[in-house]
Amino acid sequence: MIPTTYYIVLSALLFTIGALGVLIRRNAIIIFMAIELMLNAANLAFVAFTRMYGIIDGQVFVFFVMTVAAAEVAVGLALIVAIFRTKHNIDIDQLNNLKG
Amino acid sequence: MTGMDSLFLIFAVITLISAFLVVTTKNLFHAALWLIMTLFGVAAIYVLLNAFYLAVIQVIVYIGAIAILMIFAIMLTQRVMNPSGRIFNKNWIIAALLGAFMFIGLVIISMQTGASKTTLPQISGQLDTVSELGQALVSPNAYVIPFEVASVLLLAALIGAIFVSRKR
Amino acid sequence: MTTTDLLSVFPLLILILWACLVLLLDVFLKRERLTTILTAIGLVVTLGFSISQNNLNLTGFNNMVVVDNFAVYLNIIFLGSGLLAISLAHDYLKRMGINRGEFYVLLMFSISGMMLMAIAADLIVFFLALELLSIPLYVLAAFARPRVESEEAGMKYFLLGAFSGGFVVYGIALVFGATATTNLSGIAARIAEHQADIPLLTIGAALILVGFSFKVAVVPFQMWTPDVYHGAPSAVTAFMAIGAKAAGFAALMRIFVAALPTLSEQITPIIWVLAALTMIVGNIVAVAQSNIKRMLAYSSIAHAGYILMALVSYGQSSVASVSVSAALFYLLSYAVTNFGAWAVVIAVEKAEGKGLALDDYAGIGRKYPALAAAMAIFMLSFTGVPPTLGFVGKFYLFRAVIDGGYIGLAVIGVLTSLISAFYYLRVVVIMYMRDGEPEVRSEPWLNLTTAFTAIATIVLSIFSAPILQWASQAILSTF
Repeated sequence: MIPTTYYIVLSALLFTIGALGVLIRRNAIIIFMAIELMLNAANLAFVAFTRMYGIIDGQVFVFFVMTVAAAEVAVGLALIVAIFRTKHNIDIDQLNNLKG
Repeated sequence: MTGMDSLFLIFAVITLISAFLVVTTKNLFHAALWLIMTLFGVAAIYVLLNAFYLAVIQVIVYIGAIAILMIFAIMLTQRVMNPSGRIFNKNWIIAALLGAFMFIGLVIISMQTGASKTTLPQISGQLDTVSELGQALVSPNAYVIPFEVASVLLLAALIGAIFVSRKR
Repeated sequence: MTTTDLLSVFPLLILILWACLVLLLDVFLKRERLTTILTAIGLVVTLGFSISQNNLNLTGFNNMVVVDNFAVYLNIIFLGSGLLAISLAHDYLKRMGINRGEFYVLLMFSISGMMLMAIAADLIVFFLALELLSIPLYVLAAFARPRVESEEAGMKYFLLGAFSGGFVVYGIALVFGATATTNLSGIAARIAEHQADIPLLTIGAALILVGFSFKVAVVPFQMWTPDVYHGAPSAVTAFMAIGAKAAGFAALMRIFVAALPTLSEQITPIIWVLAALTMIVGNIVAVAQSNIKRMLAYSSIAHAGYILMALVSYGQSSVASVSVSAALFYLLSYAVTNFGAWAVVIAVEKAEGKGLALDDYAGIGRKYPALAAAMAIFMLSFTGVPPTLGFVGKFYLFRAVIDGGYIGLAVIGVLTSLISAFYYLRVVVIMYMRDGEPEVRSEPWLNLTTAFTAIATIVLSIFSAPILQWASQAILSTF
């Protein structure tokens, strides 16, 4: 059998890729996708730990993370599309109307 | 190496490669497709971990709703075929170093933990996770508060999304 | 479900149901004035129920929520902030042409998220409360759409918030992996029984700290905070600066002080560095700002650093409760002063982002002496000069830090306060010493808010003993 560590290392890798994506990309939608990768990494860790301990709680948490992801995607994409309509650009370093 | 082990390896590699491509691909639409691939990979690993119900939910909610919504947003905001300009921002070197540092830290820590010595316990055949999950979600002694809050959260998000996308 | 369960979430329940009711009434009656009044009534009623929970010390839903005096104190701050935000927003929204009922509904949902954060005792509830308070705030930041600055603020706040949410969730996952539970009392029990996986727990706790650091705007996680504060409508910024910060600190205090004091050896150095960096960077960068909203944004970052100082000694059980009450008192003093300062900003602000430069405050001292005096009081309170609330707050905070044995950090705090005097007093100097033709709005609710907060800043500092007494009773229940 595969030790739980393998799953945790996989989830750590996924989390790092996601966090890196947020930090290096310019496009708001890609940044958002990278954030989804981070949430998935957390979910993976939850499921692996749930399996390790043989309790249900981690799976319940995954359920809520998915709900939150759905709520965030609704608001986030609405904001991104709205700003595209006014600015015709969604690269975050082009959004510099607010520099003091 | 048993069948399970090789399945895990295959899906892990698929997940990681597609996740990497999500954050490095130039074309937004391709990135969304790679995201779907990653989400499938994660769903497959859920199956390996006996979380069948979550695997199904992952496909329905994440791929069926979230990823598709993202593709909609891409269609609405970009000239899909020929994106222009740099794809990375100025900080990518620092960010890459930071990422490598963070990853090494996480791996070292997780290697040290007790989890590395424990292999997964065998699951007895008739474990009914779906009804257990359902019970846990609505029981006052378990997760009824988060469950109700999640519904309020969705309502608030709904109002917000409608407000933002409504025409003046 | 028992009566205790119901009682523990009763104020929250009232507020959420009221928000739904106001939403429906707003849709069908289309009377903005009525929506405002109804929202204020809802908040006052909820405030009454919250106060009635004082000294009850309930736990509900199998330790999922805990209502102690700490939670009651914070809930009063949240609801009071909501009321002040409404009185700031009432005329401001009309003037800016964005008077819509959704503002009040989203505000109420956000406050309910904050209240949930104060009573949460399970990491799941913390996470959901974080999202419930944040998602309405993303929309509120973008409320002045289609003004591009506001939309940009909303999107930046959203991306930052979602990113920080990712850290919080991953941290919670690791804590769950280390302790097999997400319940704070369960975590504390597992640690006490030496069954927790300490390295995993530490890194999980550190990730949670990072996630909430984004929310309370601590350096180096402050990146977009000034942009968000600048771009969002001023009434929203005023609310955001208090609500999100107080809720973030509520979560940090509850999680670290109540459940993880054993990790202080590893976590305290991190908090020390974060607090020092935040005070230094926030105050120094604020000096260079010429826009009042950006200046207040950096000032809010700096104040996050001061409050974070209180957490440094969280692991020493003898000092922890003093530190927590000092932080709570400081939050109150910051809330009152901050709303006052933003009320003045709103009075001077004009449409299209005009009237926000520091130079626009020239001549106010001669033309509008009352307003200038109020602003001077707020600036002195931010600096920490007696006899203002800010001074009392800083005094107790520094004393708690020194009691904890962190003299170096207290010295950094005092020195950065001196730097902050430069940019706060510059506003006062511009108001009184320079000539100009300022134009100031005079709206009844705005004037009332300014007067109320200015008087409170002075009077509460003179009679600070009962409040401090109240704050010191607001200790966390330990597990």
